[in-house]
Amino acid sequence: MFEAQSGFNPLSAAMLDARMNDVSPHLAPIALRRVTFTYAGATEPALRDVTLTVPAGQICAVIGRAGAGKSTLCALCAGFVPHFFRGRLDGDAVVDGLSVATHPIAELVRHVALVGSNAFSQISGARFTVYDEVAFGLENLGVPRPEMIERVEWALQALGIDHLRDRSPYALSGGQQQRMVIAAALAMRPPVLALDEPTSQLDPPAMAELADVLRALSRQGITILVAEHRLEWVAEVAERVVALDRGAILADGAPAEVLTDPRLCECGIGWPRPTQMAARARAEGRWVPDRPLPITVADLAAGLCAVAPDQDAAHERDGAIRSTAVQPDGKNGSPRMTHAAEPIVSLEAVHFTYPTGVEALRGVSLTVQRGERIALVGRNGAGKSTLVRHLNGLLRPLRGRALVNGVDTRTTTVARCARHVGVVFQDVRNQLFARTVRDEIRFGPRNLGFSPEKVSALTEAAIDALDLRDVVDEHPYDLPHARRRLVAIAAVLAMDTTLLVLDEPTAGLDSASISLLVRLIDDLAARQRSVLVVSHDLDFCYEALDRVILMREGQIALDGRFANLDNTQMATLDSDVGLPIALRLRYVST
Amino acid sequence: MQRTGLFIERAGFLQRLNPLTKVTGALLLIGATFLLPAPLTGAALLGGVLLPLALASRVARRFFDVLLKTLLPVLISLALVQGLFFPTSDPTTIAVGPFLFRRAGLQFALDTGSRLLVVAGAPLILFQTTHPGTLVQALIQSGMPRSIGYILLVALQLIPAISERAVGVAEAQRARGLETEGNVLQRIRGVLPLVSPLIIGALVDAEERAMAIEARAFNAPGPKTWVRDIPDPPAERIARITMLAALGSMVVWRVMMFFFG
Repeated sequence: MFEAQSGFNPLSAAMLDARMNDVSPHLAPIALRRVTFTYAGATEPALRDVTLTVPAGQICAVIGRAGAGKSTLCALCAGFVPHFFRGRLDGDAVVDGLSVATHPIAELVRHVALVGSNAFSQISGARFTVYDEVAFGLENLGVPRPEMIERVEWALQALGIDHLRDRSPYALSGGQQQRMVIAAALAMRPPVLALDEPTSQLDPPAMAELADVLRALSRQGITILVAEHRLEWVAEVAERVVALDRGAILADGAPAEVLTDPRLCECGIGWPRPTQMAARARAEGRWVPDRPLPITVADLAAGLCAVAPDQDAAHERDGAIRSTAVQPDGKNGSPRMTHAAEPIVSLEAVHFTYPTGVEALRGVSLTVQRGERIALVGRNGAGKSTLVRHLNGLLRPLRGRALVNGVDTRTTTVARCARHVGVVFQDVRNQLFARTVRDEIRFGPRNLGFSPEKVSALTEAAIDALDLRDVVDEHPYDLPHARRRLVAIAAVLAMDTTLLVLDEPTAGLDSASISLLVRLIDDLAARQRSVLVVSHDLDFCYEALDRVILMREGQIALDGRFANLDNTQMATLDSDVGLPIALRLRYVST
Repeated sequence: MQRTGLFIERAGFLQRLNPLTKVTGALLLIGATFLLPAPLTGAALLGGVLLPLALASRVARRFFDVLLKTLLPVLISLALVQGLFFPTSDPTTIAVGPFLFRRAGLQFALDTGSRLLVVAGAPLILFQTTHPGTLVQALIQSGMPRSIGYILLVALQLIPAISERAVGVAEAQRARGLETEGNVLQRIRGVLPLVSPLIIGALVDAEERAMAIEARAFNAPGPKTWVRDIPDPPAERIARITMLAALGSMVVWRVMMFFFG
């Protein structure tokens, strides 16, 4: 996508040589020795006796469950631990030759750049355009203007946001903001780059682009530490994987070794989906016994082909995939919806145009029956969010009708619609306000006027469903981001609505939490509750949901069932948002 | 650049000037309005300086639109109060319908009103023709602390961002069955769920933003550079010195008039 630019900080020959395996800690850009860190006020260390040496130019991924210490490790490598987040630091942490304990952040920023997971709050607020925002760090470093312009142009191109250069940073979508803050860090061209959950708001094409960028940076000698939940992406991009469990290193090595380590499943990190699918195939005798488990889709496809080379490969592979796809018991493409009753939601030729003139919905018709599990997918700006806001009356059609439980949303209130449709929005910070997790969850059912006994019963059931029993008395903001999202989901689940709408529910969640969601959705469908999920996580959609609706330019471009998609429909889906791994294999094979 | 605050993106005379020149010019205009004793000074400055500048900068319609919408109620009350009740020995009156306006009162109202228009119009045309980012950059380059400049810019950008978040909070809580309309009791009950996420979110954002600007080398030692160049030709520097000298002369002249006039 891009090449090395003039003015790029060349690494010394010694540093480049150190990229090879036996690297001296003195030469390594990241050298941690027996590091233990405990946040001020905390009783347990966030990092325990961590020893890690990352050679120059290596892409080192850090994986682990929520709260395992990934973000702390990134913050440590950038000096924010212990200078910004106070606490007790033991051991030696050296980054690009500087001890993070004795050098201030203002000095470390010339050696290491940190990008946090929440793009919105990474925006400086001091610049009015994307172009100026990307240049902000360079201005502070005193980079001469000609070089600054060259670097900014390079970073905008590299992250594919050149066309957004004159937009306000606050006018971008979450994914665009995330690309912008990464571009701003890359423009500073530090020898070390620490990325905390960089894909949390990116769609699949943007994730692939980011992987290309990181590989190119790695080839140029930049050392990259990336904390990430999406193991499939880690498998594609990382040269080394470090698994953390409760602050300590559980496994450290090549991706093929670490990502197939059984201990990952035992501690709740899980395996990448191709690995899980192959493991299931192996258990069912559809995998060559001596063949190692794959971590990438390509290796999975090769393995599935190898199992039956003389047969109809496509048919065999398809069968293997359908049977090995990670699906909860009882799903497997058999929807449980019933059509006898009145639909929960019915949109009839809905048109909606915002006051700015943007025509967001152009004649959308849609019904949601009881027991349905629906994935709503589409590119940014396709109309998904606008459609979701019509499902509970937050927006009302300018033309056409939106019926919730048979009632036109123009004749009722959002609070009344909330008895039938519960919506969990992507930014859970807009939702959480109570002092404890339990109070937060009780809020919704109390608003609906349920009896105290029913409120308590629904609250406790939601706490158990989202595995929050151990934190019920804690403040939601004291929890890791991932568990905060589960609290937000539990808070709407407790309203016991017939339709639950989840906007990007898997963003930032670890494998165990995603599995929890899959089970929750299956359980809801079994109780004739419907779920509609807006997500870029197509594999999650495939595993948990039956029906897929693709939005494009304010219209429904595709409405079908994952199990029955033909090649034309898969091509349509692929061209807009990509395909889940299982469908990708099936589509490629045919 | 996108439209920000009062700024109107047009290519015109004032837009080409260095922001410091415009700030100096605005100060001179405001100073002259009060320091020059001649009657109708404000009207002369409004018609002779601000109007041509607004036309040359292609913002005249928006300039007068904002100015009049903002000040019209004040101007009308000024005319009514001064026209009807101005203490004067001049018996000349002007009949408007059933009302008899005192001529001296109307003259006073016209003089005061036009000065008011200049005092409000000078900064207005400055902000309509100067992007806030460019203005703050120019002020920092001329010696204003960067931290103060940062606070000014963040305030400008965060207010709309917080408004958007407030909409998001209201949507999230209404979707949880919160009645935000209805009787007073219902509205009072709705305050906490609507305000708390906004405040908590702002506090969390503030901490993360502090971290983000640290990561972007805001406190790094050494000289700073700017990606955008703000031209400051010698002619403008001379113009600024001249305007400041003129302002200083007017002040000295008025002081002398006060003591020796």
